[in-house]
Amino acid sequence: MSAPEPAVPAPRSPLAGVATTGRYGAAGGTPLAIAEIPAAIVQLAARRGRAGDLARAVSGAFGLDLPPPGRAASARGIDAIWIQPDAWLLLAPRGAEGALAAEVKRAAGDAGSVVDQSHGKTLMSLAGAAARRVMAKGCRLDLDAPAFGPGRAAVTQIAQIGCVVHQRDAIPTYGLVVPSSLAIPFFEWLTSSAAEFGYEVG
Amino acid sequence: MHLIDCPWCGPRDEAEFAYRGDATVTRPAPDAGIDAFYDYVFTRANPRGWHVEWWHHAAGCRQHVKVVRHTMTHAIAATGRATDILEVPAA
Repeated sequence: MSAPEPAVPAPRSPLAGVATTGRYGAAGGTPLAIAEIPAAIVQLAARRGRAGDLARAVSGAFGLDLPPPGRAASARGIDAIWIQPDAWLLLAPRGAEGALAAEVKRAAGDAGSVVDQSHGKTLMSLAGAAARRVMAKGCRLDLDAPAFGPGRAAVTQIAQIGCVVHQRDAIPTYGLVVPSSLAIPFFEWLTSSAAEFGYEVG
Repeated sequence: MHLIDCPWCGPRDEAEFAYRGDATVTRPAPDAGIDAFYDYVFTRANPRGWHVEWWHHAAGCRQHVKVVRHTMTHAIAATGRATDILEVPAA
């Protein structure tokens, strides 16, 4: 006799009770937009010598070309971000629990290792004309053109927290992926850095 | 502060890296004896001048980067992947 399968708990936001919708900081002007984006996050790594097979499998299944170092690519609602040699982070709007990981695993077969990071990592976004100035307070990367721009991505440290930075457009909008256990201190850094410009949590 | 040119990520701040020591030591054969292993683990030259060393890009791509650094001026002459043979400047 086996114990009944425990029910999978519904995903909870690591920022619940912290990221409260509203406008904060300096008044006037267009505020920066800060949001937590519920996302399915999957880490994909090629098995040794199988990067070519994996790239073909992902391209065939999702129409997505896995990007080279320092870059991100998007197709059919999935963003792929290069994070280390032969490894990528895949992000998609949150759907059914584990669905993206299962789909990627099915496509990758034995050419890649798939780890569902949807609970382990948290995606936030920062958008606005002053976003680069906010980032400059804790990010050591050169985010100005031509060193960085839309479609570029990097793994770095912001406010001592390991972070994946992905510039999504020219506004600029940054996608920021941090460990969920550090989402609150990261959010606090982000909001205190944005306060002088005014920001809206959505 | 060093700016280390990671072969995968480009120039990155030293804060993203962890120093991992001398990149010139090679592991002795399993039967080389206790003295050879003592030297392999503990004995280092501590040169004043160019030094080939490992820096782990711990907060970035998590790869070990080989760096030719001057221990007195901290100038960096070259960086490369783990398997690269880097040219060490004379003196």
